Amino acid sequence: MSIAPSAPTLKDYRGDVNTWCPGCGHFGVLAALQRALVNLKIPPHEVINVSGIGCSSKVPEYMRSYGFHSLHGRALPIAQGAKMGAKDLHVIVTGGDGDGYGIGGNHFLHAVRRNMDITYVVMDNGVYSLTKGQTSPTSPLGFVTRTTVYGNKERPLDALSVAIAAGGTFVAQGFSGDVKRLTEILERAIQHKGFALVNVLSPCVTYNKVLTYDYYKEHLVTVEEPFPTREEAIRFVKEHRGLVHGILYVDPETPDYQTALGYELRTREIPEGPMDEALLRELEEEFR
Amino acid sequence: MELAALEWKVGGQQGEGIDSTGEILARTLFRYGYYVTTYRQFESRIKGGHTDFKVRATPTPTHFHGDKVDILVGFDDETLPVHRSELKPGAVVILEGDGTKVTEEDGYTLAVFPLKAIATELGNPLAKNMIALGITGGLISLPREAFYHFIEEQFKRKGADVISSNKRAVDRGYEIAQEHLAHKVKTLPAREIDPNRLYLSGNEAIAFGAYMAGLTFLSAYPITPASEIMEWLAAKLPKRGGAVMQVEDEIAGITFAIGASFAGARAMTTSSGPGIALKTEAIALAGESETPVVVVDVQRAGPSTGMPTRHEQGDLNHLLHAAHGDFPRIVLYPSSVEDAFYLAAEALNLAEIYQTVVFLVSDLGLGMNKQTTPRFDPRRVEIRRGKIVSEEEAKALGEFFFKRYRLTEDGISPRPLPGNPYAVALTSSNEHREDGHIDETIEARNAQMEKRMRKLTGLRIQNPFYVDHPDAATLLVAVGSARGPVEEAAAALREEGYDVGTLFLQQLAPLPVEELRTLLVGRHVITVEHNYTGQLLGWLRRHLPIHEHSTAITQYDGRPFFAERIVREAKERIADEHRAERAHA
Ligand SMILES: Cc1ncc(C[n+]2csc(CCOP(=O)(O)OP(=O)(O)O)c2C)c(N)n1
Repeated sequence: MSIAPSAPTLKDYRGDVNTWCPGCGHFGVLAALQRALVNLKIPPHEVINVSGIGCSSKVPEYMRSYGFHSLHGRALPIAQGAKMGAKDLHVIVTGGDGDGYGIGGNHFLHAVRRNMDITYVVMDNGVYSLTKGQTSPTSPLGFVTRTTVYGNKERPLDALSVAIAAGGTFVAQGFSGDVKRLTEILERAIQHKGFALVNVLSPCVTYNKVLTYDYYKEHLVTVEEPFPTREEAIRFVKEHRGLVHGILYVDPETPDYQTALGYELRTREIPEGPMDEALLRELEEEFR
Repeated sequence: MELAALEWKVGGQQGEGIDSTGEILARTLFRYGYYVTTYRQFESRIKGGHTDFKVRATPTPTHFHGDKVDILVGFDDETLPVHRSELKPGAVVILEGDGTKVTEEDGYTLAVFPLKAIATELGNPLAKNMIALGITGGLISLPREAFYHFIEEQFKRKGADVISSNKRAVDRGYEIAQEHLAHKVKTLPAREIDPNRLYLSGNEAIAFGAYMAGLTFLSAYPITPASEIMEWLAAKLPKRGGAVMQVEDEIAGITFAIGASFAGARAMTTSSGPGIALKTEAIALAGESETPVVVVDVQRAGPSTGMPTRHEQGDLNHLLHAAHGDFPRIVLYPSSVEDAFYLAAEALNLAEIYQTVVFLVSDLGLGMNKQTTPRFDPRRVEIRRGKIVSEEEAKALGEFFFKRYRLTEDGISPRPLPGNPYAVALTSSNEHREDGHIDETIEARNAQMEKRMRKLTGLRIQNPFYVDHPDAATLLVAVGSARGPVEEAAAALREEGYDVGTLFLQQLAPLPVEELRTLLVGRHVITVEHNYTGQLLGWLRRHLPIHEHSTAITQYDGRPFFAERIVREAKERIADEHRAERAHA
């Protein structure tokens, strides 16, 4: 454990005392993410972890790195702003399905099409946990919660297909019950130059008695290789009602946002002191 | 005969080139050495609907485009009826019509010319505006070369034909003035050509000031009347490696800016009332997480979508209170185009120095209209980024979890930029310990709340307000673009023997209470504001025992103040106040 490690260990990534419920799926996601970063030899000070609000959004508390535990649903715009501010750092966003697909749904769509080089890890438990068990955009039809007393009437959001259709350049789904595979997926996602969505099926042992570890173990179909076309990837997801596991689609061609800009961002270079008088006089010409 | 100043207005249907006609005259008069102030009125549609453009040229500086009109040019049927009441005795009204006819009406000269037909004859039907400008030039004895320069510049890319046809149109206008209106020709007062002057709008000044102060990132969502700020910067920021991003909504506008600022950029977002409303949750985030961000509000008429292209100062209450919870905020409101430049620069400094949200408030009148302004002084505002922790400083502290929210006496905690190897830290919207981790114990909460609230104590910007005749019995108090008409109203009142002074407030929060106490308490205060409820007076009352007879002159019709109305109302308020005093005694 050192302040500025060059070869980081898991200890360097250890954050504050964890308060998730015992058995929470999010433990697996956190472990996989820390492992992926260590495997990639990325030290904590080169990582910005932005989260929204929710149980899952506590990752910046529990993982040591530069972190911003922000607002419910706003992690993606904050993270994209952070990438504009610090282009060379790894920006990783962690949050829940409510955070990302409910309140933050609009930002999600636009983040996908903007294709900034960040990694978005959605810890999908099909329920709003921190607020004690209301229905979420990915809850199954008929799901009974305190806000859907007579059963959920809204079909679950298929975030994978949405992301692929919206032009996502890296779309994957992991399972917090398979930390090894999830670690591999996250390594690939972090290395991907562009927006990488990793939806992680992450059971809530307290509020979701439908989407359980056993349910996933029984139903998940593994994807060995990404599909060559968006259409095939979406067809596969639809065929298996989203119960798939692996990297679904990768587009290495489309440039990430910063590359598409076509110039070098230098947003942190702000010289202190007097204003640049020559520049001032030059720009004043427009107003003379 | 000599005019004291020129007040000119052009009206017509949107899409007819009204703006460009006004802008050409304004720029020509500016180049020719006059102080020029303008006011554009338009509707929330692209084509059709009446629009007008006011130009006032004076030999001395002013912040006001004036109440009245010497020359009114109209290209539609609405111009004369809408603006007749503004005509000065002896004014000339030039209207587009079927034939040529000059008549003396009640107090003004009506001159109708078939401008479009004449322009068509000259080979360019679009040049009817140029004929009207030529007539204007002839009426005020402006050398026609003044227009030539402009035409050459403006139509450089369109080629020699367009340039010469436009010049011919201007010449034709001068001839028409000679032939039909020789008896109305006047001269403008002498002026001085001074190269140390600029002509720009409040929006341009904010964009320019922010750019000069090292802004590197702006994220926003388009809205009238604020969009021009992002548009100006969109062309400039990439040149220094910065960026303007038009993002999906106003929430993204501010949260992108907060993210960029957290990571080390100098960041700002711009909007108007409806967009500011959407930003409020993130405004509180800037407060709790202590992330610098500048939020520009160019106000328009509300509530809700209200009147999108009309003027108002109705967001003050919102900006002074916006968002949940208690946190320190800075609210600055320039009262001239010149100050818009300096306050934009100052706002970026203060956001980083105090690590909180800074509102830079403007209004449609100030934002979208241009004024002659002295050239900017680069020494007036230095670029300062506040307490950013260097690698050496952080290394010396040797903290595994850097104390991002260190308890300090001045309330400001040194801020690391991500990437600093020795300052790995957590920034948080939740209440936290010094190291940024969640902590809701009484000790942590109170210590952090008190630390945050401490940091603005004693904050004073360079010019928190401007005061003139501070010892007067009555003080007219205003913000933003109301400064222009209030200044002129006060001068007129003093000429009539009234004992009035003026105060234009630029630092609204934290309010410079102690200085204001000596100026305002015990004095009859009249605020002059563009809203229904007198929000500025309410804010002053909240901090100071403002005299009970103090009142607000309010206007909420979406149009700028006439100085004349302020004079009339101020006299009534002063008389009422005297009556009340006598009744008391
Ligand atoms: C604007 C706003 N609305 C509502 C909340 C309350 N809230 C906190 S967490 C949460 C939902 C969390 O669900 P999810 O994002 O799925 O994460 P989980 O807790 O299930 O991991 C809500 C609604 C809030 N903090 N802010």
